[in-house]
Order: sequence, then structure tokens, then C-alpha cells
Amino acid sequence: MTERRARRSPYPTWFFLPAAVVYGALFIVPTLASFWFSLTRWNLFEAEFIGLGNFRQFFREPFLVQGVVNTLIYGTLTSGLKTVLGLALAVLLTGRIWFRGTLRTLVFFPVLVSTIGVGFAFEAMMHPTRGVINVALEGIGIDGPHWLTNPSLALVSVALVDVWKGVGLATVIFMAGLVSIPQDYYEAARIDGATRWQQFRRVTVPLVRPATITVVTLSLISGLRYFELIWAMTGGGPGFSSDVIASVIYKQYQAGFYGLATAGNVILFGLIACIVLPLTWWFNRREVEL
Amino acid sequence: MTVLSRSVATAPPARPRRRARWRPALTGGLALLAALVVFVIPFLFIALQAVKTRREASRLDFAWPTEWQAWENLVEVVQERDYMLLLAYLNSTIITVGSVTLLVIFASMVGYVLQRRRSRVNGVVMGAVLAGLMIPPAVVPTIWVLQALGLFKTIHGMILIEVAYNLSFSVLLYRAFIATIPRELDEAAIIDGAKPLQVFFKVVLPLLWPVTVTNIVVQSIGIFNDFTNPLYYLPGRENVTVQLTLFNFQSQFSSQMNLLFMNVLLVTIPPLVVFVFFNRQIVAGMTAGAVKG
Amino acid sequence: MAEVQLRAVRKSFGAVEVIKGVDLRVPSGDFCVFVGPSGCGKSTLLRMIAGLEEVTDGQVLIGGRDVTDAEPSRRGIAMVFQNYALYPHMTVAQNIGFGLSLAKRPKAEIEDRVRHAADILQLSHLLDRKPKALSGGQRQRVAIGRAIVRDPKVFLFDEPLSNLDASLRAEMRLELAELHGRLDATMIYVTHDQVEAMTMADRIVVLNGGRIEQTGAPMDLYRHPATPFVAGFLGSPRMNLYEGEAARAMGARVYGIRPEHVLLSPERGRWHGRVRHVERLGADAIIHLDVPQLGDLVARAAGETTLAPGSEVWASPQDGTEHRFPA
Repeated sequence: MTERRARRSPYPTWFFLPAAVVYGALFIVPTLASFWFSLTRWNLFEAEFIGLGNFRQFFREPFLVQGVVNTLIYGTLTSGLKTVLGLALAVLLTGRIWFRGTLRTLVFFPVLVSTIGVGFAFEAMMHPTRGVINVALEGIGIDGPHWLTNPSLALVSVALVDVWKGVGLATVIFMAGLVSIPQDYYEAARIDGATRWQQFRRVTVPLVRPATITVVTLSLISGLRYFELIWAMTGGGPGFSSDVIASVIYKQYQAGFYGLATAGNVILFGLIACIVLPLTWWFNRREVEL
Repeated sequence: MTVLSRSVATAPPARPRRRARWRPALTGGLALLAALVVFVIPFLFIALQAVKTRREASRLDFAWPTEWQAWENLVEVVQERDYMLLLAYLNSTIITVGSVTLLVIFASMVGYVLQRRRSRVNGVVMGAVLAGLMIPPAVVPTIWVLQALGLFKTIHGMILIEVAYNLSFSVLLYRAFIATIPRELDEAAIIDGAKPLQVFFKVVLPLLWPVTVTNIVVQSIGIFNDFTNPLYYLPGRENVTVQLTLFNFQSQFSSQMNLLFMNVLLVTIPPLVVFVFFNRQIVAGMTAGAVKG
Repeated sequence: MAEVQLRAVRKSFGAVEVIKGVDLRVPSGDFCVFVGPSGCGKSTLLRMIAGLEEVTDGQVLIGGRDVTDAEPSRRGIAMVFQNYALYPHMTVAQNIGFGLSLAKRPKAEIEDRVRHAADILQLSHLLDRKPKALSGGQRQRVAIGRAIVRDPKVFLFDEPLSNLDASLRAEMRLELAELHGRLDATMIYVTHDQVEAMTMADRIVVLNGGRIEQTGAPMDLYRHPATPFVAGFLGSPRMNLYEGEAARAMGARVYGIRPEHVLLSPERGRWHGRVRHVERLGADAIIHLDVPQLGDLVARAAGETTLAPGSEVWASPQDGTEHRFPA
């Protein structure tokens, strides 16, 4: 056996270093630290250990519990609607249809626009008496609801605007999935006598699955995490009726309850992990069976 | 042969040609109509309010403006609070350019080694990348770290935050693209005597240009539109970014709708311009990975 | 020009051993072809000589110098890849001169040597083009040019013709053989195509399952295969091979006879059979027979043969062409 001097790899590990330093310091370290600080009463300078006090408080205050429930509603509602509508639009926009390019552009453009700007515009349009939406509904004899001022409707209204803004992304992801399905399958299905609906159910839906997984996961994660639109449109109101965990974190931070805000972060992390990880596991398992 | 002809025979009769001809036009027309109502009216609404007088805009309707005030509103928005919008544009531009530059360099290096090298470290790196996509950033502890590093309320601190938060996406984009570049190219360069840095910067990086453009476009729009992170990590009047200027008019909400929407319009222009020129790259970037899952 | 020597070379990927102890000497100036089925380790072996794969155990010597741990660029080798591996963002001239410019040679020298290589390969008129604008054959030549300009002691080829169409492949085979004659360098060439191996090699190394099965001149291997594997691998259509009862009847563990050595006769012969199928290739015809004593038997006959499916026929081996492999 000869003595081996390990030759230097052409792909040096130090290429990871610049990214690792920034990512480690500003993402990993705070994430790990959050587990400790969520157990403390904290003012950024001194942290006093109080065990699970913050979490206990979080689940005792009704408005904080409501935030957790709202997060779940908001996440599933936006994710579900984006997936269904995105697939429908993608089928429409990859088919033989006039104005295809224009339609694709129209559907996608809101994705790129400032969320806050969109929020303000829809807030104005959803004004209960003067807003264009209710004025238009009145024109056809419908008494429009108080979109953002009715506590039981506010969260759903914001979610609908979120879908309006985000469905373009789901659509282009589905479109990429659809065009990668070889036409042969559809031809074979037609020769086998499949109707259009059967082609959609038996060919399109199973084969567009990777795109579906991407859309569901992406929209779920962002739906659970972000609060920009809620912040712009309702500020969490009326009352706390449209608060989600992310906006609660901001409010607690503003109020100086840093330990409580951080506990909110840990809860949000746990919530996302509890939903997304089993979901991806389930998706992957099903994929093997296919 | 019999099997084949039988299955052809049971297939539904081919759709009549004539029907197929008007169908795309009809669906297209209806879809266009619906899209105009759903997707265009909100933007028309914004544009219309932006050119009205304060009083007419406060009515929030679609009435045609009796008095065009586009230029006056524009001037007023720009001058608001001592030219805050210009400062915000400057800050947002610095943050966007700075963080996207770093993202391109850092992420391409990580994506390259991650894709090329088989090693135990890769599992850890890949785990970190996926964690970055999923885990919501812990806000207050991040402020705590930024303060310790002297980066809180600084533009360069904000740049590094944007780099950290958007690295995962860029790394995945680069990794997927690098997989399409034959490894034999690296090997040819190695045999030609290239050092690791030369292999990467002289041979591989130039070939990554398409995905680099995608990265630049997609990330700069995202970072330019970012509201939450500057809100947390970059407080202070002199640090204002464009998304935060929109809140200038929120306190006097009902009375300054014209200025608010002029501001929205101004903030929407950069992404619009980018979209017009890089439509294809944006879509490519946002759909990358969708097919492979 | 240099001799290449492998001493007890082994290679493992994790727990899987892909090269299981190879000893080989390729004499200076030889055109040596590594041939074998996919997964036999031939490419890995070549890449270990190039220095692109680390050697798990054993030694690699080039020109008598131990290069086992040397950088690829310090081994005096050049390599031509299966997909050419031309740098797409560089012109032909830059592709050929890349190694020289990395070595910081003076501009005039680079230009000179690039032009010289281009002349040899008739690429002079293409020097300013990008690889995208070249045909498959031209790309292949540029890849060879990039090798020539390094003035290597050993050329390594990794299935360089497998992406070309049949007629171009035949042309390039001839060109490579001529190039070998002109450059007089040691060449090691990997292929899975036994035609390339037979036509180009001074010496063939047949690999199977990470081991050398047999080494020798092409016609030696064709006439005297040491194992049933080599017998079956070289020659087309492949040799008829029989095991078990049929082979034991003829005094061997494995009995083999090449299709071109099977004589057919309407009246007499060793085996009686019936024609199942006739493949007419033009110059000759491949006859598939059902022979009760053996099973399937393939024979090569003249292109104008009148045999048709269903005909009864007698077959016998030509004298001295039978292969009997002992247990």
C-alpha cells in the first residue's frame, strides 16, 4: 500500500464560506437563539428565564389564540384557491385560445407589484359604501358586504386579494408543468376514447403533480409566514379579527414584549414545520407509488 | 392490426372542423373580458385616482376626473416630507443592487460546489438551504444579532439580511442550472491546467449567464418590493425605503387618496419596466424546479 | 511519446470496487484500445490515468514517472471527451489555446501553436467560430486540436466517436489512425464498439467487471480468445457459444464457433437443422438455424444464397476454427 497524499479537489469546500458566514450569522444564529429567548422575559439587553411563561400567555390570551387560528385559515384558504385557480388558468392558457400572450401577461403582472400598493388599492375598492366593488354589486341589485369592516369577513377578504395577487405565480408554475407533459399521452388517451374531462382527470392531474407539489408547498409556506397584505388592508382589525401570528409578532415587538414576540416566532416555526413537513413526506410517498 | 383498428373505431368521431375554428376565439374573448375586469380595473383605478384632485379622489369612484392633476400630484408626492421619496429610491436602489450582487456571487459558488462535489457536507448544506425556504426568520433575535454586530439600522446590515434571506432560492436556481452544464467541461479545463478558481470564473461562471440574469431580475423585484424586513431592521427616517413611503399618506387616509395612489404608481414603475424587458427570465426563474419537483 | 504502466490499480466508490486490480503496460507509441461492455470500468481506468479519478490503491506511471498523485495538468497527457467538452463561450482558437493561455505563454507562441494544430486538422478557416456554429465532425477536430496543442506524451480518448453518425464515424476512425501515424504518440482509446477496437488498435485490452479479460493484437484476440467472454465480445455477428450438454458432447465446458466458420451444405455435415430466418445484408446473409443438437445456430453465407425459411440444411465447422474452452 503506497502512501496517499489526498489531492486538492477541484471543487473546494471554501466556496461555501462567504454564503455560510452571512447565512449563519443572520439566519441560523437568530433561529437557534430564538428557542432560548422565547423562554425569557427580554428587553434586548437582559433576559430573565421564565420557562414556558410566554407560551402559556400566548395560548391563554384569546386574541393570540385567534391569531393562530387565523393563520391556519389564511394559509389553507390562499393555498387551496391558488392551487385550484392556478391549475384552471394554466390549462386555459396553454390550450388553443385567442389572446393567449395578453392573458398570460395580465394574470402574471400582479405578482410583481408592490404588495402594500395592492393592499391600499383594494382597501379603497372594498370600501363598504363608496368602494367600486360594492357600487358595482349595487348596480346589479346585490347589497355588497362590509368586506373589511365586518369582523367575520375581513380575513377572508384579505385572503381573496392575496389570491388575486398570487395566482399568477401558481399559474406559470402549472404552465411549466403542463407543457412538459408529452403530447403522446393525450393522443393515446384520445385513441382510447377519453373525453376532455377524463383526459384532465386521468392524464393532466397525475402528470402535473410535481408542479402541484411546488404550488401547494410554496403558497402554504408564504401564506403562513407573511402579513404585508393584512398589515396594509386591515392592520389586523377590526379588533383582532384578522390578526395572524406574523402580525401578532410585529405588534408584540412594537409593544416591547420581545420574549413574547420571539415565542410567537417559535410557534410560527412549529406550525409551519408541523404542516409542511408531513405534507412533503406524504407527497413524496405518493410519488413512489405512482 | 385488429386491435389497433378496433380501438380507433371506438374513439369518438373527430370533432367537426367548423366548431373547432370558432371555439378558441370565443373562449379567448370571454377570458379576455374577465381578465380585463379582474386584473385591469384595479390598476385603472390606481391610475385614475392618481391624476385626480384631492376631493375627487376621496370619492373613490370611477368618474372621469374633471380636473387633471397628474403633474401637480407627482410634484407633491416627490416633495412630501422633504423629498423623502427620492431618498427612499436611493436607499432601495442601494439595497437592491448591493444584495443582488452579493447573492449572485455567493449563491453561484455554493450551487456549483453543491452540484459538483459528492461529499458529506452536501447533506448539511442542502438541509440549510431548505430550512431557509421554510423557516420564518426570528425577528427579535435577528435584531439582537444585528445590534451586536453594529449592523442594526444600517444600509449594509439590510443588504446582508436580504442576502441571508434570499440565498436559498438563488442557490437552488444555480444548482439546477449547473446540473445542465457537462462536468466534462470542468475536467477539460482541469487537464488544460486550470486552478479551481479559474475553472469556476473562466469556464463555469460565463456559462451561467442565463440563470444569472434570471436571478438578478427575480431577486431585485422581490427585494425592491420588500416591506417587512426594512420595517423591522431598518427603522429611522433617513433609512426609509420605497415601500415604507406608502404609509406617509395613510394617516390622513381619506383626504389624500390622490397622492397615495400617485405614490403607488411611482413605486410600481421599476418592476413594470423590468417586467417589460425580462418577462421571459422572470417566468423561467419562478417556474424553475416546478417540473422536477 | 511515453510508456504508460498500471501496477495493481484498484478503485472503489464507497464500498463498491469497480477496478479490481489491473496490471498493464502500454508500450511507447502504441495505439491501445480499452474495450468492454458498459460498466466494465474502462472509462474509470482511463480517468485514473488522466488524474480525474483518484486511485484507491496501486500506481500509475507515465514515461517511467510515478504520477499517481500528480495533478492532471502535470502528467503530460491530453484528453478528448465523448461530448467534446468544448468551451461554448470561446472561439475555436481560444478553445485550442486555453491551456497555453492559462500557462501564461506569450501571445505570439500561443497563436503559432494554435495555427499549427489547426493546420494539421484542417481547421484554419474556422478559428473565429464558436463551437455552436460547427458540425459534429468539426467539433471533434477542435477537441483533438486542443489535445494536440498541449504536445502531450499520451493522448487519452473517451468514446470520442460515439456521438457521430455512422458514415462520419468511419471517416474519423481513418483520420485518427492517420493522426496516430503522424504524431507517433502513445494513444489510449476507450470504446464499447468492437468495430472501433478491431480497426484502430495496435493492442486491445478487453475489460470485464473491473478486470482485464485479455490483452493482445486485434487478430490474435479474434483468433485465440482466452475466455468465452472475449470470444463473444469481439466479432459480429457474435460467436455461437454453447454450454452444458451440447458443449460436453464436443469435449468442452464451453464450445464456440464463429458464424463465418460455419459451412452450410444441402447434403451432409455434422449438424442437421432448419432455417428459421434469413437476414440479407447485401454482400452476405446471416442465416438463423434451429439445430436440435445445439439449439440456435447463426451462420454467415454469401449474399446471393438461395436458402429460405423452412429449408432443411446441414452445417459443419470449418477445420481448425472451433473454440473449446475448458472448465
